[in-house]
Amino acid sequence: MIRQGTVLAIEGLSKSYPTGFWRKPVCVLSDLSCEVRENEIVGFLGPNGAGKTTTIKILNRLAFPDAGKVTLFGGVVPDGADVRRRIGFMPEQPYFYEYLTGGEFLRLCGQLCGMSRADTESRSSELLARVGLSGSRGTAIRKYSKGMMQRLGLAQSLLHDPELVILDEPMSGLDPMGRMEVRGIIRDLKAAGKTVFFSSHILSDVEALCDRVIMLHKGRKVAEGRVEELIGAETLYIELVVSPVLPADRLAAAGIPPEAGYAQGALLVLRAPDNGRANRWIAGLLREGCAIISCVPMKKNLEEIFMERVESSGTTGAVS
Amino acid sequence: MLRRILSVASNTFRETIRNKILYAILAFALFVIGMTFFLADLSVGDFARIIADVGLASIQIFGVIMAVFLGINLVSNEVERKTIYILLSKPVRRFEFIFGKTLGLSVTLLLTTLAMATVLFLVHLSYRYGGRAEVGIFIASAGIFMELVLLTCLASLFSTFTTPVLSAIFTLSLFLVGHLTKYLYVLGEQSKGAAVRWGSRFLFFLLPNLENFNFKNEVAYGGLSSFSILGWAAGYLVCYAVCVLCLSCFLFARKDFK
Repeated sequence: MIRQGTVLAIEGLSKSYPTGFWRKPVCVLSDLSCEVRENEIVGFLGPNGAGKTTTIKILNRLAFPDAGKVTLFGGVVPDGADVRRRIGFMPEQPYFYEYLTGGEFLRLCGQLCGMSRADTESRSSELLARVGLSGSRGTAIRKYSKGMMQRLGLAQSLLHDPELVILDEPMSGLDPMGRMEVRGIIRDLKAAGKTVFFSSHILSDVEALCDRVIMLHKGRKVAEGRVEELIGAETLYIELVVSPVLPADRLAAAGIPPEAGYAQGALLVLRAPDNGRANRWIAGLLREGCAIISCVPMKKNLEEIFMERVESSGTTGAVS
Repeated sequence: MLRRILSVASNTFRETIRNKILYAILAFALFVIGMTFFLADLSVGDFARIIADVGLASIQIFGVIMAVFLGINLVSNEVERKTIYILLSKPVRRFEFIFGKTLGLSVTLLLTTLAMATVLFLVHLSYRYGGRAEVGIFIASAGIFMELVLLTCLASLFSTFTTPVLSAIFTLSLFLVGHLTKYLYVLGEQSKGAAVRWGSRFLFFLLPNLENFNFKNEVAYGGLSSFSILGWAAGYLVCYAVCVLCLSCFLFARKDFK
């Protein structure tokens, strides 16, 4: 039963690809079920080969599942143009017609989406400016850099103002500035009431952006939930950064065991296991004439959660 | 639906006319057709007939090279370069993609055939020193164009499920077989075995009969002056091309892109 407000529901999705006439097919997705609700940013996480791109291809009719079903906007993933018009998609490392210019390519996308010429032109100008490609509108795509292609891919996915935006590795190939801009665009989409479903293996990006995450490993879902629920409220340790670096005898005088810290240039980094000890250590360090640079309670990050879930699910393997 | 087919077609047309290899083939074809002017001087007999004969054969050979070269890459290039991911994620159905690609390439072939036929017509006209221009050159070229459209459909069919090299081999094989099917039928009918007769009849109707588009002899011997002769050929083309394209769409409809 699909809940109201569910934009995308995946139920029991399985997919395998043949690898040769005699060999057994390789299973890339196994009984995957999850959902994406209206106005959510959902991260689809996993290492390379986890099945993220295959799932996204199935959502976009580029591959067909062996079992299971996908429901978009309440209807089983159809061939219909009406549903497609409500979805924007950017593939991983998008490729375009190199003989076209950026502007011509967006015009083609507009025609395929049934947009009028005037709408296409105004949306193209707006989006090219948003992704930082205004000056390259008339440049042949063959002259675009990898980062520019990624930006154009994002622009074409948003051209027809879709309700659901599916992005496959939107940050790959971008420099830090580009990544920040893409994060900004994704946040703006949420603010405009859109739903964003994107895959990534860069966990820090996902942690910074997503309302919910779905973690995949070797074709199986290993975790799903809100980011704050997964990370939890529990503090792992408190990190103190102080200056200057104290010798072992003065650390002992401040009540700190020497193995609790390490020098990082002119700074001393200490890990206090709990709040009580952190307070006692701070008092001792102040007595010894140290300056406290920072005091940060450290929680688990998504990377650690992911590794934990992979290990507990028994599907360990190389994780990038 | 029509708008999307036309959008895919216009993009395919743009892709093919920006292909430098196409221009290289076309330039060479125009050069060879132009050279028929001098070839006639070297031959014995009806010079105008030789120009028409050799010129139309050149149009056919170079047309087939263009149709096969562009046709085999029609779908496979899109898959290989992954441009199809963006196209099919838009509100474009797979059959619209196939029809649009074939239509776009057909328009390119129409223009190239027209260019070659015009050059041949001018050569023919200048050789006759202002005598009656042979309109049959355009009629025979229209027949060649129809043959090229059919070959494009076949090449696009093969490119939906196999590699470009195999697509080229299959398409060229059908081009050769397509001009020999009537002999297959005649040989089959002479057989005493019913199975052979029925087998040859089945193949005769299954394989494309490209001789339906061949009006070169009629033009060379000056017996062709009306475009009405193309009616039957056009009907055959539409029926056969629709069947081939439907088969392409069927095979392409459930294709996974890895």
